[in-house]
Amino acid sequence: MTAKISLRNVSKQFTVRPAGSAGTTTLTAIDSLSLDVRDGEFLTLVGPSGSGKTTLLDLLAGLSTPTSGEVLVDGRPVTGPGKDRAVVFQQYALFPWRTASANVSIGLEGKGPDGRKLSRRERAAKASEYLKLVGLAGFEDRFPHELSGGMKQRVAIARSLAYEPDVLLMDEPFAALDAQTREQLQEELLRIWRTTGKTIVFITHGIDEAVYLGQRVAVLSARPGRLKAIVDVDIPDRDGGEDIRSTPAFVEQRHKVWTLLHDEVRLAQDAGHRKILPDGTAPDEPVLGEPAATTRERSAA
Amino acid sequence: MSATLTKPVRTAVTDTAVTTTTATGPADSRSAVGCAPAGLSAAASRAGSWLWKATGVLAFLALWELGPLYLAAPSTRVFLPPLHEVLLAWGRLFESGSIQGHLAASLGRSVAGFGIALVAGVSLGLLIAWYGRLNSVLNPLLELFRNTAALALLPVFTLLLGIGEESKVTIVAYAAFFPVLLNTIAGVKTVDPLLIRAAKSLGLNSFRLFQKVILPSAVPTIFTGIRMAGTASILVLIAAEMVGAKAGLGYLIVNAQSSFLIPDMYAGILTVSLLGLAVNFLLVALERHFSRWRTAVGA
Repeated sequence: MTAKISLRNVSKQFTVRPAGSAGTTTLTAIDSLSLDVRDGEFLTLVGPSGSGKTTLLDLLAGLSTPTSGEVLVDGRPVTGPGKDRAVVFQQYALFPWRTASANVSIGLEGKGPDGRKLSRRERAAKASEYLKLVGLAGFEDRFPHELSGGMKQRVAIARSLAYEPDVLLMDEPFAALDAQTREQLQEELLRIWRTTGKTIVFITHGIDEAVYLGQRVAVLSARPGRLKAIVDVDIPDRDGGEDIRSTPAFVEQRHKVWTLLHDEVRLAQDAGHRKILPDGTAPDEPVLGEPAATTRERSAA
Repeated sequence: MSATLTKPVRTAVTDTAVTTTTATGPADSRSAVGCAPAGLSAAASRAGSWLWKATGVLAFLALWELGPLYLAAPSTRVFLPPLHEVLLAWGRLFESGSIQGHLAASLGRSVAGFGIALVAGVSLGLLIAWYGRLNSVLNPLLELFRNTAALALLPVFTLLLGIGEESKVTIVAYAAFFPVLLNTIAGVKTVDPLLIRAAKSLGLNSFRLFQKVILPSAVPTIFTGIRMAGTASILVLIAAEMVGAKAGLGYLIVNAQSSFLIPDMYAGILTVSLLGLAVNFLLVALERHFSRWRTAVGA
């Protein structure tokens, strides 16, 4: 077993301004978290709001650096974003002035790993190939505003696959879609994963989604985020055409994850945890009260 | 008087240009191509709506023609000649080539000033928006300059640069500079942070990020500034030419007035409003071309 991604005692702290106060406090989003992701694995990550899921993904993507600990990809520490990793965001993040094809090929516009620049035609051909992979053949010239939510997310997936990264980091990619589209895209993602063999780290707040997609489900605790447990999802007959969500194995695993998550969700709710806003304010942090960490340690004790 | 006469026409037609922008979106043209009889009736209804929109202008022109002939006192008619006299005067000026000369003089100045403002405004705006500290230093100063009416500075420019081309080009550049600058800053600052995150995760370096994400996303806002600058530059130019010039449309208007060539004066005014219309039309078309992707943002 080779570890594609290794998190070693990773902590991430933010300096935040509690709402309505001028001072700053330190908020621990992730606390000494260690986790290995195998090469070619599909790992899903669940946790209550504010448990640092997105923070963790940012660390993996190289969009931020850990306060302490190490993030390794292929044994090398992550120093910034790289072509070996791709991110799929919940809100698609397509460039609205580019057509679907141009969106997909944006990652191909620089020099490739072999130091060669692809011509415009080669890029378009590659974009078409990946749009076809996500089931959007023929939509090359559409602008994002002409596409539905599900189609936009397909384009975003094609964009992140097009420059052939080893790792796909997905941050609640299907959360904004309706139930039917979500289910359809989940199946397609599994198909893409099987055909391309990528390592996928998939963040979700849906337990069903986590169990359905993941080979393993990592459950994070309420803030500060720690690894609470890893559940191996073992569902026989996964590739069969039947509705695996209603098989006893699925129900059992789902219940396992639910139980693990349940206490954490209640804890997070009691503390009123929400997302830390990009401007450094944390609406849920008490103005002069104790940091979230103490709350959690006390109730855990 | 001249200002009140030209203004309603200009605003009315500007509105028309804006509404047609929304009416002829990509969806419309596609449906028209899809089915021939529907396309025909669409064309007919479009012609009808054009006619409807032209009603106001036509009524105004009719009033201009008939009002002085039948409603006004003979003494007033001297100062407000009916439309056909103005058109005849315009024809004479055109034949003698003098209106082309004045138009060329005005166009040359506004294009030069506008061009300077465009280059300076966009590049300085990008710099200011990109370097936050520069912004906090320059912003109060820019506010001060922006709120100083350009025409109030005309005497200063005339004293320093004389009554030649330099002062006029400078004042046009000054007036056009601020809309471009401020809209460029606003355009860069309002780029969706998610798109920047996405671009960074795609491995774009700072330069590519700027070139491929920040600039394209700011283009529509910049173009709004450019369109405002176009209007401002013509307005200020005409005023500057009225104060001190030997050629140009502003000079033509003032000179005709003082020489008591009243129809010539109106011919000049008419040319100014047509020029304004043409400039606005051109800039709207350019803006539309560069912001096609924004057409259905609300949809």
